[in-house]
Amino acid sequence: MSKRYAFLLDMDKCIGCRGCAMACKNFNQLDPGMVWRQVYPLAESIYPHRERAFLSLSCNHCDDPACLRACPVAAYEKRDDGIVVHHQDKCIGCTNCVRSCPYGAPRFNKEEKHAEKCSMCVERIEAGLLPACVQGCVTGALQLIDLNEFEETNAVQYPAGYPVMKRLNPSTRFILPKMPRQVRG
Amino acid sequence: MKRFDHDSGRRGFLKGLLSLGAAGALPGSLLVPAKSQAAPFDASAYQVFRNACPRNCYDTCSIKSYVKDGVLQFVEGAPESTYTKGSLCVKGYAYPRRIYSPDRIKYPMIQEGGRGSGKWRRLSWDEAMDIIADKILDIKKRDGSLLGLGLTKYSGQFGIVNYGVEGMMSSLGYTTRFVGTPCWPAGIDAQNYDLGDMWCNDPEDMVKSKYIIVWGANPAWCSMHSMKYLYEAKRRGAKVLVIDPIFTQTAAKADVFWQVRTGADGALALGMARHLLDMGLVDKDFVENHAVGFEEFADYLRKNVTVEWASEVSGIPASEIREVTEEFAAAKPATVWIGYGMQRHTNGGAMVRSIDAFVAMSGNIGVEGGGARYGHLATWGFNYHAMVQKQPEGSVGFAGASGPKGEFDFAGGGSAKYSDRAVNINKTAQEILDARDPELKMLWISCKNPFAQDFDRNKLERAFKKLEMVVSVEQFFTETVKHSDIVLPATTLFEEWNVNVSYWHYWLSLNEQAIKPMHEAKSNIEIAAALSRAMNRKEPGSCTFAQEVDGKEWMVKEFNKGIYGLFGIESWEDLRNGPAKAKLASSASWNEKKFRTPSGKYEFKSDLCAKNGFKALPEYVEVRKATAPFRLLTPHVQYALHSQFVNLDWMEAFYPEPYVFIHPDAAKAKGIGELDMVRVFSSIGEVKVRAKLTKNVQKDCLVMYEAWFRKLDFNVQNVVDDCAADMGAMKTGAPGVAIHDQFVDIERI
Repeated sequence: MSKRYAFLLDMDKCIGCRGCAMACKNFNQLDPGMVWRQVYPLAESIYPHRERAFLSLSCNHCDDPACLRACPVAAYEKRDDGIVVHHQDKCIGCTNCVRSCPYGAPRFNKEEKHAEKCSMCVERIEAGLLPACVQGCVTGALQLIDLNEFEETNAVQYPAGYPVMKRLNPSTRFILPKMPRQVRG
Repeated sequence: MKRFDHDSGRRGFLKGLLSLGAAGALPGSLLVPAKSQAAPFDASAYQVFRNACPRNCYDTCSIKSYVKDGVLQFVEGAPESTYTKGSLCVKGYAYPRRIYSPDRIKYPMIQEGGRGSGKWRRLSWDEAMDIIADKILDIKKRDGSLLGLGLTKYSGQFGIVNYGVEGMMSSLGYTTRFVGTPCWPAGIDAQNYDLGDMWCNDPEDMVKSKYIIVWGANPAWCSMHSMKYLYEAKRRGAKVLVIDPIFTQTAAKADVFWQVRTGADGALALGMARHLLDMGLVDKDFVENHAVGFEEFADYLRKNVTVEWASEVSGIPASEIREVTEEFAAAKPATVWIGYGMQRHTNGGAMVRSIDAFVAMSGNIGVEGGGARYGHLATWGFNYHAMVQKQPEGSVGFAGASGPKGEFDFAGGGSAKYSDRAVNINKTAQEILDARDPELKMLWISCKNPFAQDFDRNKLERAFKKLEMVVSVEQFFTETVKHSDIVLPATTLFEEWNVNVSYWHYWLSLNEQAIKPMHEAKSNIEIAAALSRAMNRKEPGSCTFAQEVDGKEWMVKEFNKGIYGLFGIESWEDLRNGPAKAKLASSASWNEKKFRTPSGKYEFKSDLCAKNGFKALPEYVEVRKATAPFRLLTPHVQYALHSQFVNLDWMEAFYPEPYVFIHPDAAKAKGIGELDMVRVFSSIGEVKVRAKLTKNVQKDCLVMYEAWFRKLDFNVQNVVDDCAADMGAMKTGAPGVAIHDQFVDIERI
């Protein structure tokens, strides 16, 4: 059976350090202002302690990617292993994809005048390595999974604060954060 | 559609799927979908070098650097170290930008328009060294000694070869040294009184703990690589308690969080100790056979401490104190990680001693998975070849006793007639103002950023005006550079040879030169050699430092048989295959229960401590009294190592702006709303910053994380004074600083 690669974020382990996002910049040599992965603190309505639980998100490598549908020049490719790759050399910088993705994955590079996004470090995966962000996660919160084999029963597809996009069917999975018992003086 | 409900909502997740349906109508639909032909990543296309992160950080990561065409392409954590385990932190991954930042200082420069004018002129290295050498010789002529030349250096760039800065000063003569440490000195002395040294268990053995108290430390931000051990211990059934005045990121990952009143940790520990006593949970074998003074301490507890009192002082309910104490005693092994934050108080050393005593009574000293963990210097036994330099013949210095020059001074005391003049690094401004016979005329600054790190910034401005010449060795235009006459460009770790170890874990890492120095940057020993050439040209024999240095040779000279034996390596070259870990007889420090105290036992009662002016027993000492409505805490943020990293544009992508964090009730009382611009002020200065409202902080407490933003005028040291901590003078040459005993008020602007 073919693989369907996806990210798993164990929010209970995530410390919001941004190491994943910086590891991405480091390996992919992104321009100074560009980020392909970003870490978003959960609102206090979702996790009551401010800036203490996070969604670390890049591209969700959807089943039916909005970016791919929106692209007028077929610069996007959905691979058999689930990875959605954007080919910058084909991109005309129309920003349709940037406006289409509800998760904000493709970003417009104003200097280069093209869109960019996470490719799940496909060249690393093809070399048997982990994506830079997964490799760079110091707590093991961010993991690479094969959705076709994934059987974690406590993982969810749509944690609070993350847009529900059933048709797109994003591949990222999440384990929700817990809270300590608190004794406050 | 749903939007991301996150803090920085301005990033914006777009409302409409405007173009989804439109795509099919465009000519693009005729295009053949692109096919991915990404060539697999090929590591063999790179030269891979070994590096060792030299930041002042628990984790001291082992780095692998990938170089192509002489350019560092990217870095990763060394997989061979079970501690680094293939991952760096958010700061480490920013290194490529740090090297190639357009903001780096490129060549020597002189600020001709006067300090702060910004009118810099490029100098050649020879010109710069001539100006500096002339000044040094001028001082020697005027004063008859070089005590008017001061060095302030601390932990900005670790690596054993960088002690060549101290070596350079010695090679010129006897000078004035800013000694001590703002970091951890009170706790170091406390552990020396109790145990005879600071020596922690291997942090990797926390996985064996059944109960872990993280007390005043925030590893989720300041020792991220330790988090995996906490998680693994939890997975194996351990309980984790975090004790902190702030609901930290580490607290969010604990089983239990105790929000203690700041500076009341000592009372809390004594209350827990009293409960051990009351419940008969004291480890009899340890206190009778491996300790002295326990009966006196027990007496003190019975007469002066109750759980109810501890509860009242600390704010933690008595029932909680009892329950946790019993759980801790029942769990074997159990450990306390004593953070550096909790000893940055006027009673900091006393508080660490109380916690040590609690852990000792529970029988967890010398036990794998146990211990009162604070830090260690057990792997630092290098030659200090670069550091130990001889003064020129006939040098005149300070006549009188000289204490230690900091915790990393491994050179040992000499028996010479003269010594350097030691002044307190934690009172930099006051020491410059007070220095007499001779006055301090010139300051050399390396591996340190006094205007970001030293206390009472306004006073420091006044003090610097007294100096005739300030020389900074730096990588970026910091505020200290702004206050300098001459700046010399320094190499990053990737541009020099070095070797590095940690004060927390037990790994040893080689630091190879991976790329040529950028621009005209030089390493500290190359700068020393250049200065030596200029000095000797002008006055032969005036500087003993080698006039030519080979960075690699000097790195090799730091190794010795002791290091090879400890780490089980034949040669330093073995480290090219990856970092090495010390061969430990046990992961537990003090596993033989042979303590380095005068008695050879754990000392609940320390005569040495009493001799140095403190209580012999780990008694309760009240914290500094409030002088303003709010207590101010200025701890570290994960994006910064003090003033480093946040100035990089890569880091600005994640951390563009600082805040003051205030409890919503306190904010309401002050009429302060979310993101309002406020003024945080005290009698010594003010900070203007925007406010964020959060119950992570206590109502009477404000929190600002220290950092240097290149585009902002933000400096927490404007409102942090130089009030001393209790202990630290014995082992580090100066007492610590009560960084967290600061008081301010706040108002909306």
